[in-house]
Amino acid sequence: MKNLEIKNLHVSIEDKEILKGVDLTIKQGESHVLMGPNGNGKSTLLAAIMGDPSFTIDQGSIVYDGKNLLEMPVNERSIAGIFLGMQYPQKIAGVTNSDFLRAAMNVRREKPVSLFEFIKTMEKTIDDLQMSKDLAHRFLNEGFSGGEKKRNEIAQMQMLKPSLALLDEIDSGLDVDAIKLVADVINRLKEENNMSLLVVSHYERFLEYIRPEFTHVLVDGRIVESGGRDLYEKIDSEGYDWLYDKYNIQVSAADNKARVSIGQCAVKDTLKGSI
Amino acid sequence: MLINNNPIIKEGFNLFEIDTDNDLDLSFDIDLNCNLFIKIIKAKKINVNCNVNKNATIVFWNDSSIKIETKENYNVLNNTEFTLAYVECNDYETIRDLNVYLDDDHTSALVSSASLLNCLKQYRINVVNKAKNTFADMKNYAVVLDKGKLVIDAIGKIEKGSKKSSSHQTSRALCFGDKQATTILPELLIDENDVQASHAMSIGRVDDKHLYYMMSRGLSLKECTNLISLGYLLPITEYIADETLRNTLRNQLESKLSNV
Repeated sequence: MKNLEIKNLHVSIEDKEILKGVDLTIKQGESHVLMGPNGNGKSTLLAAIMGDPSFTIDQGSIVYDGKNLLEMPVNERSIAGIFLGMQYPQKIAGVTNSDFLRAAMNVRREKPVSLFEFIKTMEKTIDDLQMSKDLAHRFLNEGFSGGEKKRNEIAQMQMLKPSLALLDEIDSGLDVDAIKLVADVINRLKEENNMSLLVVSHYERFLEYIRPEFTHVLVDGRIVESGGRDLYEKIDSEGYDWLYDKYNIQVSAADNKARVSIGQCAVKDTLKGSI
Repeated sequence: MLINNNPIIKEGFNLFEIDTDNDLDLSFDIDLNCNLFIKIIKAKKINVNCNVNKNATIVFWNDSSIKIETKENYNVLNNTEFTLAYVECNDYETIRDLNVYLDDDHTSALVSSASLLNCLKQYRINVVNKAKNTFADMKNYAVVLDKGKLVIDAIGKIEKGSKKSSSHQTSRALCFGDKQATTILPELLIDENDVQASHAMSIGRVDDKHLYYMMSRGLSLKECTNLISLGYLLPITEYIADETLRNTLRNQLESKLSNV
């Protein structure tokens, strides 16, 4: 069983502690959603699992499939079956989607993928996600709209067939139809490959499609509440205030910033809250 | 075919080789639409004087086994579109002094170079708009390895009287060693109104965020830098009309990068 076990994880960036002791276990095939207000560490948790070098792991452990991820470089984590669908995918001029994906497919197999098989897989993926036919020849995310970038993340996921997918607000920027297409691909990979899932999402429609069995709420660097589907439904209808009350949490700085006007129109309305 | 002082050029694709221990003077006119591929196997000094009267593409593949120095002058005439491309991936120094003159109205020139270097490569590239409605574009892409030293003096000049003309240039260098070893001097000398001119330049290492993104899909650091480097170099092969040659050059660039 390819399980993910995170214990007492402390993560910081530039001496600012973001995660302050996270424990989380995801068994193979399970789907988990990570919720919580903005700026409380959800993306950091996913990035730490993937191995983003801008974060420092101060304490704790991340083990996947019996391997200590913290000792593995980013590319080996990917080969071990982990995929991170990023919130802000990089655009890289000069590198075509097809060259990139072929290289990525080849590192996880003994014999290189044949050109014929690659083209077949690529065309099916483009079809499934209704992406533009020239995707293969375009540069990585260069000139892509926000929605296209997100679809391209899912296209990569479909072609690389991970055993654990981490999806960071993959639904943002997608229109209603695209959300359905993306969710279909996720559900198919779950079914066919018994893929585990950890998603960060604020969008109920997306969660309704992929129906994660477990919900966790991350506030101020800690998972303060875990539960089943009922938990995300409750948050969706009631927000986070009841949680703040229950655990006596001070609202984080991210929500408390002074309001700034960037325009002339309706300045009075914009500033009303803080005057 | 080994090139001599007065090469005979036929219409379409022409393959020439330069292989000499002496200095070489090349003077020729292009009077037919053609695509010239000139491979430099060995040369010391090459002087080129060329009148371009018909649409033409000239690709120089520098594979010289000794240091070369070139002085090249091209006069673009008669409404023609001229493309000049240089591929530099050998291990010996190149000192190039290049002038392209857009002498007649409605002529255009694209000067393009791709260099994978681990020694000194020094180019002075001067493209001059001398007539009305002329269009000049320059693209220099380089991957500078540990021992590489790149100097590019990229000059676009629009002379007085060359109304409605344009001069554009882009120079990008990807550095694996000290980026101080790369100097690119873009110059735009404009002596007329009602013209367009622009330049873009970047010198730097591979972006850490790009690396993280690519590695998160399983590619090793080396595979990432290879792919990014090829992105700098491979576009130049599009100017080569012959497919076999194009693939040979691609393979050479790829294998050279993978042995870095």
